[in-house]
Amino acid sequence: MSRKVLVADDEAPIANVVAMKLRAAGLEVTVAFDGGEAYERALADRPDFMITDLQMPGMSGLELCARLAAELAGGVPTILLTAKGFELDPSTLAGLPIRRVMTKPFSPRELLATVQELLALPAGA
Amino acid sequence: MIEVRRIAAVVLLFLGVGVGLHLLMTPLRDAGQPATIKAMTLACGLALAVLGIIGGYLVARVPKERIGAVSAYLEGMVRKGAIGLVLSESEADALGRLGHAVNRYMTFVKDEIEQTHLTAKERQIQIKVLEAERRHIESVIHAISDAVLVTGAFGDLILANEAAERVFHFRFETSVRKPIEEVITDKGFLAILQEMRETGLFVPHRTVEWVQGGGENARTWRVILNTVVEGKKRERISGAVAVLHDVTKEKEIARMKSDFVSNVSHELKTPLASIKAYVEMLIDGEVQDPAQSREFFQTIASETDRMSRLIDNILNLSRLESGLVPVNKTDLAVTEILRDVSEVMTPQAVQKNIRLETDLAPVFFRIHGDRDMLYQAVLNVVSNAVKYTPDGGKVRVSTYLSDGSVVVEVADNGYGIPPEDAHRIFEKFFRSGHSGKAAPGTGLGLALVKHVIEVVHGGRIDVESEIGRGSTFRLALPAVR
Repeated sequence: MSRKVLVADDEAPIANVVAMKLRAAGLEVTVAFDGGEAYERALADRPDFMITDLQMPGMSGLELCARLAAELAGGVPTILLTAKGFELDPSTLAGLPIRRVMTKPFSPRELLATVQELLALPAGA
Repeated sequence: MIEVRRIAAVVLLFLGVGVGLHLLMTPLRDAGQPATIKAMTLACGLALAVLGIIGGYLVARVPKERIGAVSAYLEGMVRKGAIGLVLSESEADALGRLGHAVNRYMTFVKDEIEQTHLTAKERQIQIKVLEAERRHIESVIHAISDAVLVTGAFGDLILANEAAERVFHFRFETSVRKPIEEVITDKGFLAILQEMRETGLFVPHRTVEWVQGGGENARTWRVILNTVVEGKKRERISGAVAVLHDVTKEKEIARMKSDFVSNVSHELKTPLASIKAYVEMLIDGEVQDPAQSREFFQTIASETDRMSRLIDNILNLSRLESGLVPVNKTDLAVTEILRDVSEVMTPQAVQKNIRLETDLAPVFFRIHGDRDMLYQAVLNVVSNAVKYTPDGGKVRVSTYLSDGSVVVEVADNGYGIPPEDAHRIFEKFFRSGHSGKAAPGTGLGLALVKHVIEVVHGGRIDVESEIGRGSTFRLALPAVR
């Protein structure tokens, strides 16, 4: 059974290219273009994993993570993509199921490798 | 000398009479003495008493006419208020010598008095100079915009200027000499002064930052503190001086600069991220279909354009804000600018099936302005309207005269802006969260419009908007009469 991944980014070219890379590797991908849409999709699809941008109109990546964690048991393991990496206060990530923070510009190749690595880990790690 | 002689005469008189009488009285008391001794003692006593009376008279005797002349002369000097030579020294006797001595003494007194007068005058001049200097320093202290507070050895208020009165809300006149705790209520600032008093001997100079109040009205002060230390071993604090400089604006500018750099890097990294990802996909051979690879190249090209546009906009705005772009103002008709903008925007509007209407007054309202800058400003507003209006919508550009201003109005029936964001949309890189899925802009367009309209042309820009119903931007420019 293929694993389900949700990709959320308000930059359509980014969301699309990430989706394409993951799909080519055999993952089942859903794309959302803002935080609100991603939240709805996640509740409907129950993805195994999520890749989200930090800054999105309406609902930010962190808010999305937190709301899903409150809604779904344990939340959705997440990779946070951001162009503001070094300004991110680690305390804002505390308690959220964020497994990695990757800074933009990023390599789709590395992103895929990271997703595969994290998905291979036993649940809850 | 006359005084001395008189005293000597009186002393002799009393001595003679006294001792004589004593001897006279002795035989009467001691009845047991032999008769001859009694008689001798009696005789000696009598003789001494008589000698005392005669000696005293002789010593005290001074020629009356000469003393009278001296008295008259001295009285005359007093009447004239004069000081100087007094006595005739012609006589070679004791009185003549006395006259000489008195003259020398009087000359000495006269010189001393003249010297004292001179010194007193100098002192008065010095006091006046010091007083003037003190007033000058006080007026300087009062004139400086930084707040100045001076406290004494017991933490009492000694000096404060008007700026300090404004910062701490007190009146110096009624607060002078009061304990500082009764004058200033802010606990944070009092704690700073307290620490200064406790550690001032070891750290006499320091600079601290103090935030006054909170929320939007919070002010940040850079407080320069100096302890006045006294004593041979500098062991005593005799006061403290605090100078407060308002750094609220500097802090705000520093924060804005930092935000700007952070925003610029974020905005540049976003298209760069797309470019890198798409290039890597092509290199990795993830794209086989020729149509899809063309799409990839197109994305790379458009993201590259976006980066370049962003850099251009940042540079333009920064040059404009720093006054590096020459402003070339002429009398011009607003209508002509609107027509040009409308012409340029029509293809984009048509592409989105948006009706771009222009309602231009038949009268050509004239303003005094820079044509190129105003064209760019109006173009940005109309372009935003087209961008943030969904397919099939409407954008209407009109102009009219109001309160001596030519108003350019751009109204759309697009997504609209939430009321809480309305005042922020002119900030650099601010993006309203409800802008829909519009093409990403640089986040600098409206900041540039605001600068051109308000700073360069002394006009005014405002916006009225409602979510789901659209936005109306009004650009008001002073009309030429």
